[in-house]
Order: sequence, then C-alpha cells, then structure tokens
Amino acid sequence: MTEHRHTAVTRRGFLRTSALAAATAPWLARAPFAAAQGKSTKVLDFQTGADVAKAEQEGEVVYYGHDGEAGIGVLLDAFKKDFPKIKTSYVRLQTGALYAKITAERSAGRFGVDVLQLSDISPAIDFQKKGGWEVHVSPESSAYKAEHQSSPAGHYNWGGVTFAGISYNKGKIKPEQAPKTWKDILNPIHKDGVSAKLATSGMQHAQWYTLRKLYGNDFWQEFAKQRPKGFDARAQLFDRLSKGDDRMCVLAEYAGYTLFAEKGAEIEFVAPPDGLPATAFYIGVVNKAPHPEAAKLFVDWALSKRGQAVYQNQKILLYGSLRTDAGPMPTGKRLADFKLLFPTDWNDYVASHPVFVKEWNSIMGL
Amino acid sequence: MTSLERARSWRPGPRLVSLVVGGGTAVLVLYPIAYLIQASLSVGDPQARPPEAYGLDNFTGLDRYAHIFGNTLLVAGVATIVAVVVGFVMGWILTRTNVPGRAALEQLMAMPYYVTPLMGALAWALIGSAGSGFVNQLWRAVGGSGHLIDINTAWGIAWVMALFEGSVAFVMIGAVMKSMDPSLEEASQVLGAGRVRTMLRITLPLVLPGVLGAAVFVFAEMLGSFSAALVLGLPSRFYVVTTAMYQLVSQYPPRFPTAAAMGVSLFAVMFAMVWIYRRIISSGSYVTITGKAFRPRVMDVGGLRWPLLGLCLAYLVVAVVLPVLVIVYASFQRLTGAVPSLANLTLANYAMALSLDAVRSALWNSLILGVATASLGVLLMGFLSWLIYRSRLPGAGAIEYLLMFPQAVPRLVFAFGMMWAWLVFPIPIYGTLWLLLIAYLTVFLPLGLRTISGVILQIDRSLEECAQMCGATWGHRLRTVTMPLLKPGLVAAWLLLFIASVRELGASILLMGPKSKVITPAIVESWFSTSSELTAAMALLQTLAVAAALAIMFAVARRAVQAGGE
Repeated sequence: MTEHRHTAVTRRGFLRTSALAAATAPWLARAPFAAAQGKSTKVLDFQTGADVAKAEQEGEVVYYGHDGEAGIGVLLDAFKKDFPKIKTSYVRLQTGALYAKITAERSAGRFGVDVLQLSDISPAIDFQKKGGWEVHVSPESSAYKAEHQSSPAGHYNWGGVTFAGISYNKGKIKPEQAPKTWKDILNPIHKDGVSAKLATSGMQHAQWYTLRKLYGNDFWQEFAKQRPKGFDARAQLFDRLSKGDDRMCVLAEYAGYTLFAEKGAEIEFVAPPDGLPATAFYIGVVNKAPHPEAAKLFVDWALSKRGQAVYQNQKILLYGSLRTDAGPMPTGKRLADFKLLFPTDWNDYVASHPVFVKEWNSIMGL
Repeated sequence: MTSLERARSWRPGPRLVSLVVGGGTAVLVLYPIAYLIQASLSVGDPQARPPEAYGLDNFTGLDRYAHIFGNTLLVAGVATIVAVVVGFVMGWILTRTNVPGRAALEQLMAMPYYVTPLMGALAWALIGSAGSGFVNQLWRAVGGSGHLIDINTAWGIAWVMALFEGSVAFVMIGAVMKSMDPSLEEASQVLGAGRVRTMLRITLPLVLPGVLGAAVFVFAEMLGSFSAALVLGLPSRFYVVTTAMYQLVSQYPPRFPTAAAMGVSLFAVMFAMVWIYRRIISSGSYVTITGKAFRPRVMDVGGLRWPLLGLCLAYLVVAVVLPVLVIVYASFQRLTGAVPSLANLTLANYAMALSLDAVRSALWNSLILGVATASLGVLLMGFLSWLIYRSRLPGAGAIEYLLMFPQAVPRLVFAFGMMWAWLVFPIPIYGTLWLLLIAYLTVFLPLGLRTISGVILQIDRSLEECAQMCGATWGHRLRTVTMPLLKPGLVAAWLLLFIASVRELGASILLMGPKSKVITPAIVESWFSTSSELTAAMALLQTLAVAAALAIMFAVARRAVQAGGE
C-alpha cells in the first residue's frame, strides 16, 4: 500500500449522487452517501471511510465467512497483498452455524469478530435487528444501487451475486431428453437421478421462493416425487454430476459449472428462459469489532473494484459483481447477460424462510 | 510430633486426591451437559440464550424423527457386531496364536484407525458408489449391468464404520488378551478341549470385560459417528442422528433445542449399555494377573496359522491398502475416473492443499493437541480407572456413569454445550487451543477409561494389598505396582487418544477459533466446497503427518528406554 490521499466530498458530488439514487430506486431516504460519513480516503485506487493509519496500527482483521477454505484463502491473501501490515484470520462455517456462533459469542459478551459475511439475507436482517452491524456507509457503496444495500444503508452490503440454472451430465441424458425449462425438471424419466441443495442453503431458499412465485405452491411438491438428493455445497453437486452419480442438478450455480467444465467434465448448463434464481452474499462491519478501522478498510476494499475483481475473477469464488461499473466475468459474460430472478418483496421472502425449511426438509427426506 | 513436622510429613490421601480429580472431572463433564439439557428444554426462540421458556415439546416432537433413530440403531448395531467380532478375532490371532509375522501385523492392525473413517468413507465412495464406483464401472465394462455393489446404503455405511472402528476394538481387546495368563488356556487343552473350544470357553469369558468394554465403547462411537454417515448416507437420503443434527444446527434459524433433545435422548441408550456392562462384570471374576508369575506364551495352531494369516491380510487390504491406494490415485486426478489417463493427472491438488492455511497451521495445531491430549489423558483416565475399580471410595461407581455422558451424545451437539459453557466462563480460554484441549480431554474420557479399565479389571487386588502390607503408601503402590501392570493398557490408550484427537471432527467444528484451527474440519469442509480430489490430497497429507509424528515419537521413546537400560 503506497498511496493515501484524503478526498473531501463536494456538495456537487453529494447532490449528483442523490439525484442518481432518486432516479434508480424509491429508497432515497436510505440511499448511501459517502458524503454523509464525512471524509473518505483514497487508498490504492479505492475510497475508504477507514483511518488507514489506525487500521495498520490495529494490524489485524478477523473475518467470519461462509465460503470454502480455498475461497476465503484467496480473498484474504489478496487483501494482505494490498495491506501487508494487516494480518488476517478467519472462521469458516455454513451460514446457519456461523450465525449461531457469532450470536452465542455476542450474547456472552465476547466480541472477537471484525467482518461478517453471510450467504442468506434472513440472518443478515436478524443481525441488523439485534444491532449487530456497525453502521458504516462505505464510500464505495456509491457504485451500488440502493436496493443492493441494507435498509437503511450502512449495516451490510450486497457483495456479489450467485445464480443457478439446470445442469446435466451429457453422458447420462440424451439430447432429446435434456431439460430446457424449469418444468422439465419434473419429468419422471429423471426420477432418482436429480440433485439439489439442502435447506441450509440461502441459494436453495431463493430458488424455492422465486419458482414457487412463478409456478405456484404445488411445483415443489411435484418435484418431491423425483426423490431428489440433497447436499450442502455446489462442489458436491457438480462432483457427483461430473462423475455420473446424478443425471441432473436442478440448483446448478454458474460458478460451480464453470469450475467443473474447465476440468473437462461432460456437463451442460441450461439457462431456462423464465430466468435464473439469484441470491447475494452480505458483508458488513460488526459492531464492537476489536479492530474497527481495519474492518472498515476491509469492507471498503471488498466493495471496491479491487476486491470485486477478486470475488468475480477468482474461479473458486466467481460472484458476479453488482457494481454499476463492473466488468465481465472470466467467462466473458456480465450479470446483465443473464435474466436473474430476485425476490421482489424482501419482507415476504424473509417471512417465508420457516415454510421453506419445513417443506424442503420433507422433500429431502429429513 | 510437632505441628511443623506433621505439616512436613503430610501427604494428600487417596480420598482427597480422588475427591479433587473425580470432582474436577465431574465438573468438566457436567458443566456443558447442564447447558445442553437447558437447551433441550427450551421452547421459546431457538436462538435465545438463556431460553425464554421451558417445556418438553422438543422431546415429545421427536417421534417425527423415529425413522432416523431407527436408522441410527440399525447402523450402529450392525457396525458394532462386525467391529467387535473383527477386533476379537484379530486380537486372538495376533496375541494368542503363533501366526507368522505377528509383531509386524500387530503394528499394522492399528493402521485403519490412522486412516480415519472420513478417509475410509471417501475411498469407499469412490470404490463402491452405484454409479461411478470403480468396482461398478469395471463390472459394466466387462458386460455387467446395473451395479455390483452399492456403498450408499445402511449396510455400506455399517461396513465402512466397522472396518475403521474394528481396529479400536482390536486395540482394546488385544491389550486385555496380552495380559492373560496362558496357563488357563493350556490347562484347557491338556484336558482335551480343542483350539476353538478353548477360545470360546476359556479365552472369551476371561477377556469379557475387555470385549464388553470395547462393545460399549464402539457402539457409542457408532451412535455418534458422523463422517461415514455424512459421506455415504446423503447420496441415498439416508440420515442418522448425527447427520440429521448437523442439518438442524446448520439451518437458519439453527434448531438447537431439537438437536439437543435428540442428543439427550441418546443418554438413555448409553446408560442402558453401561448398566448392562456393569451388571455383567460384577457377576464374575475376570482376574488373570495374580501374584503367580507367568510368561506370555502363544498357542501353536499348526497349519491353521496360514489361513489365519490370510484373514489378517484380507482385513488389512480392505481397511488400509485399498482405501489408501484409491485416495492416492484420486489425489493426483483432475476428475477421478476408474480408467487412468495421462491428461487427467495433476499435482494441482497438492499445490492447493499445501497453500491452505488450514493445512499448514491446522495440521501443526492438531499434532500438538494430539500429544497433549494423549499424555494428559492417560494420566487422568488411568487415575480415574483406578478410582472407579480399585479405590473402594463411596460414589466411585457413579463416576463411571458420569464419564460416559460425553460418549452418549454426538460430539457436534456436545460441542454446543461446551461452547455455551466456556463462553461465559470467566477465564478467557474460548477460541484458543486450551479450549480444544479441554474439549478433547472431556469427550475422550470414555475412550481412555474403557481402554484402561479393561486391563485394570484383570489385575488381582492382592498384588496391591501385598504392597500395602509391606508398608507402601497408596501413591507408591500406584506408581510401582498398578501402573507397571497397566502398561499395555496405558500404551494402547495413549495411541488411541493421540489418533482420536488428531482426527476429531464434531467438537472441533464449533470450538475452533480464528487462531486455533485443526485439520479434520478443514478436510470435511474441502469435501463440501471444493472437490473429492483436493479432499483426498488433504486427507493423505494428514495421514502422512500423523504417521511421521508417531514414527518419531516411537523412535524417541525407544531410544529413551535403551538409554535407561544402559
């Protein structure tokens, strides 16, 4: 890290950002403004609200995340490369267990976490209700639409998007039997050969919710007749699909597909015309963080072009960037090239979570 | 005698030491259990700590998981029977017969335990999955249809669990058999009984405490077994209690109360097992080590020794050689297939594994914890075994029930109790290796106790009484009489505790902090989030590190013994 430059946010810039936010979403009152936070600092090629000198003095950032060890390793190594004076450490668990751990720690008065990243919006909102996030409106959040931030802004940000279509093993399914639409996953010829994720997955909740809205409440009950097999992570799904243990995966994340297709797996990705269910990961600074400035610096970096390049270009992560100025993914495609299905009513989405868990557990035989 | 002289000559008596150690251990076990029971009775917000309201709803609602309890008992029961039979037969062959290469085979027989159920399950998934299993691919390649074997069934899971827990049963039962006076078997044969009749009528009844201890331990271990059921059960929608609990606590919101109620329900099963065990051993005498000197001798089984050797080698092939070869093969592949191809070969999995912090620092932490847990554990559990079976102190029997608690509940759930308990503990050990050490010492109490107590029951009390009559204090007796006689059991316990600690998964997942990572959770996590090829590379690195650590420790110990002898 070589360059620190303080940049005062101008009145004109403030007004311009406000006008842009008003034009893009009815969230004006909650829109993020770096200006509202006073000074921001330019460091490397991004803006941060953190005091960089203090962050380096703190010398450490503790990260709790849901991605795999390899993915987290890549992310933290990239941050360390940019800020070699700040050590990184992490805990990795699935979102449910991770959230349980952090809430148990906090209820016992232990505050050891700086940055939290979750793969499901329900715990992110719950954490906000509990006052768990430190309100930090990142200067980099001006590059994001208001709807891609917490309400009000500053609690957490949408750090990247993952989305899923259908994938099938070309050796196991003939071209004429290949699925083309979501309704094709109900075809009885695929019975006992279909896989999806378990109810632990935020992505699975997003798919259940959005396709239920499209095709009605009975859609997943019909799907249950296929006796699908459930797994925790996309790597397991594609591992099995590539080896021919399953014929078709109905929650085929694009990130998983590209990773295994590159290895030479005989698999195909299908993007049904009705759209691809999508979900984000949610990242923010934790309240009472032991290293608050380092935490802010990390979140600002993660939301910046530099951080987003890591999330988007590293194939082990491959989260599409929601920055309005984001470049294409390594596959050459941009998020805009896909028809993504996000829930439109977040309150309804969060409220549906217990219904999803109950129904999905039953579908998966638990 | 002046008060100063009295103070100088004061030594802590057995009652005081027992009270301190027994009481301390009770706290170690009951403290997290109290939190677990509290959680199982929570009927308000499942995340609220402490609970908002109490009731029995979590227990009354368990009937919807009856099929999962049934699955668990089926798999645990079948796997225990197979493991104990394997352990007993291998123990008998290698300690009581003149089978060729006994010494080497005995060392090799502990290998499945090093290999770990996780690695075994991954390997057997590659070997025997209905679709892509190597055996089935070859079967179809030679004209067969469908599949020849399917490892993703209840029987497949039980098979894998038994293969890898069979060696625990062997170590436990073998330690007891080694300490047996052969004159009893010789007397049987002199009176005309055949070899098999002698084994069933003399050997088996005499080693019954060891066999039952191993059966109780292995059954409990099977109830709490996670890795094999996770790797092999999910593909066939087959859940056991541990995998169901894992799903319940990993979902949002985590359903701790239901998971805790499931765990607490297993206490009943475990206590029934301990009660039966105590009833059986209290109804007879199993003493084989008396004041009369004996030299361990083995039976000449004649031509039978070659088939017996074949049996040992067959076990080693299916439990060690085959899984390790498959894992080595998979670790060098991009995408594992039954037919090797040059284009598919890669070193990328090792490059990635070695670059991960989880492998570099976590492996080192695991080895440190393994040595610390085994060394402290042998002292603590050896003393507790003596306390329970030798001290005649009031309440000593109750301690055995107490110490079986951690075995009765799957470690994943026990870890939640520990997390809640140690989070509020005023000394800040949460998130450090110290907490993992305490956790390991707690959850492995039953393992150490069962291994050592099987041997302690064989030692005639008269040996200690004789030393007492000669004026030896209880501490001196313990050090110079009991401990040396317990040596086989203590060595077996050290080995088991070391390996068990390095491969521990359930408790570690939740209790690891950002700076206290251990290796096995990282391997499982890799299976979730990367690929079976990278997971194979990591599992192999773990196994090699454990083998190297053990080799160094044995070499150092041998040198120390030789130096002492000179």
